[in-house]
Amino acid sequence: MNQLARYIRGPLILVALLIVARYLFPNKMTFFWEVSTFGIYIIANDILYGYMGMVSFGQPFYLGVGAYAAAIYLAHIGHNIFIAISLAILAGLVTGLILGPAYIRLRGDYYALINAATCAMGLFMVEKVLYPITNGDDGLWYRSSMHQTPFLNLKMPSDVFWFTMIILGLVMIFYTWLDRSTLGAAFRGMKASESKMKFLGYDTFKLRWLGYTMMCVLAALAGALYAINYGFVNPSISEPARAAEVLVATLLGGPGSVYGPFFGTLAFLGIKDIVSAVMDRWELAVGILTIIVCFYFEGGVWGTIQTIGSKIRGQTIGSKIRGRTANQTGAVSIKTAEDGKS
Amino acid sequence: MFDLYLSAVIFGLTVSGILFLVSIGISIGFGLMRIINMEQMVYYTFGAYMTFALVSSTGSFILGLIAGTLVAATAGFLVETQLLRRVYGKELMFTMVVTFSVFMIGIGLVQYIFGLASKPVGMPFRVLVPIGGAQVPLYRLVVFVIGMAMYVLIWVFLNKTIFGKAIRAGIENPDQVQGLGINIRKIFTITFVVASGLAGFGGALNSPLVGVAPYMGFDMLLFAFITVILGGLGSIKGTLVSSLIMGQVMSVGGTIYGPLAFVGPFMVMFVVILFRPTGLYGVKGRAFGFEE
Repeated sequence: MNQLARYIRGPLILVALLIVARYLFPNKMTFFWEVSTFGIYIIANDILYGYMGMVSFGQPFYLGVGAYAAAIYLAHIGHNIFIAISLAILAGLVTGLILGPAYIRLRGDYYALINAATCAMGLFMVEKVLYPITNGDDGLWYRSSMHQTPFLNLKMPSDVFWFTMIILGLVMIFYTWLDRSTLGAAFRGMKASESKMKFLGYDTFKLRWLGYTMMCVLAALAGALYAINYGFVNPSISEPARAAEVLVATLLGGPGSVYGPFFGTLAFLGIKDIVSAVMDRWELAVGILTIIVCFYFEGGVWGTIQTIGSKIRGQTIGSKIRGRTANQTGAVSIKTAEDGKS
Repeated sequence: MFDLYLSAVIFGLTVSGILFLVSIGISIGFGLMRIINMEQMVYYTFGAYMTFALVSSTGSFILGLIAGTLVAATAGFLVETQLLRRVYGKELMFTMVVTFSVFMIGIGLVQYIFGLASKPVGMPFRVLVPIGGAQVPLYRLVVFVIGMAMYVLIWVFLNKTIFGKAIRAGIENPDQVQGLGINIRKIFTITFVVASGLAGFGGALNSPLVGVAPYMGFDMLLFAFITVILGGLGSIKGTLVSSLIMGQVMSVGGTIYGPLAFVGPFMVMFVVILFRPTGLYGVKGRAFGFEE
């Protein structure tokens, strides 16, 4: 029971904070909804970037897979929203299983670029090749064909907010489990040194494939939530130009940490919200901020909170935090040994 | 029909010239400094915008060309000495994210100064040359000739001067060059400034053809990366050959079926990465396996 509470406590607190914030600022509901959906999307990217150390410039493609899977079902085939979400998850799963073996063998920079290429080709498919199904640039509109659902009526944005909170809670519990499990440790070990992981007997190909498929499923889930809340989907959801947002938000929060994606999303969307009220566009501020975070706050927002928190609470609790990140320290020492060798 | 394709081929040659100028920086940046240069297209954008500013204020295209190149080279100098020096030797992911943020800052600056709307730039001359029944703008031919002349200049610089030989040695093994008493940091800076100047020059040349827009560098960045990967990272000759191929893919492909102009290059990259990751002339581009 105590074991279970360890995984559930943190995610529940954060979800409760979002719900409280939504009622404190009633006219900001869309913002807090976006924080939760974008948060799932960033968690997906963080499994890849923070844990396994693979940068991708084509994340919007995976978001688009989920969004279009849900949208095509709702616009052409059926009316049940839950089936649409399940289909989106299935589409993510199939994408991960099919594209995985080809992509994950590639070295870091090639992997990043082939994702950019995939994203551009996905956009092309949606805009031109699949025009009869996807309606090209005009997008698919299907709000009227969505049927009401029992308990939470997912046609209403306020109920979608509650539904997204439940999903976010579940995803974060899963993510907390991943962080503390052997699987998460194996991912981190692979980031530090793949040959050493192989030597220890791990099949790194399968591990990488698993992580990649997890990313695809979670990103597709986020895409489906976008599709259901907006009631329409157009190709701008998977534009290659939006790939930067994902990386910046992940980095801002602190890659490879449990609550990093959540705080990264909050910080990124918050800055975007504030800056876009002052300036026309937000690129300048986000670019400068990323460089500052890269050079001076390597742990991101969450890493900084952790450092300050352990300083305030003193050494006794600080040592507990250190104990929890023993996996990371282990990985670092492997890396240092390797650097010394070469 | 024939003249349609003939003019498509010549348009493609123009695209090749521009692509060659802007992708050299990425190719050399990887070969020499081992960083992924995402921000190279900032200089391209700056060059194009300087040309736009000077052409619309003074009317002189040559002045715009010179100013664009100089501004781009200065920006390259500042970025290299202030920022990139701290990045050398770090892992590739880190260099990618840092240089990408520089790219975002560049886009933000351009938007702040010049606004969001895309703007046209006046053609320096509007002479049409008849070639085999097709009417081809002379400017496009000039751009191609300039691109090829630049290749010859770079080739002579790298192969016939002592400085160029030091750069080539640095691509092979930076540590040993340092051991010979050559200041590799200085070589990095000068190479980087020249490469960013070339990117700015390419942007200035391209601005009358495509106009200027804050995000003009983004698509060009992807195309430049495709060019560099197809040619092989770190190889100048490979960059030239692949930019010739890419120009034809975009131009002739776009004539056969419109959307191919944008998607064709990505299809090429897709096939190249999956089946021949070293590119045409690459020796270092080992794409498989994570360990260096």
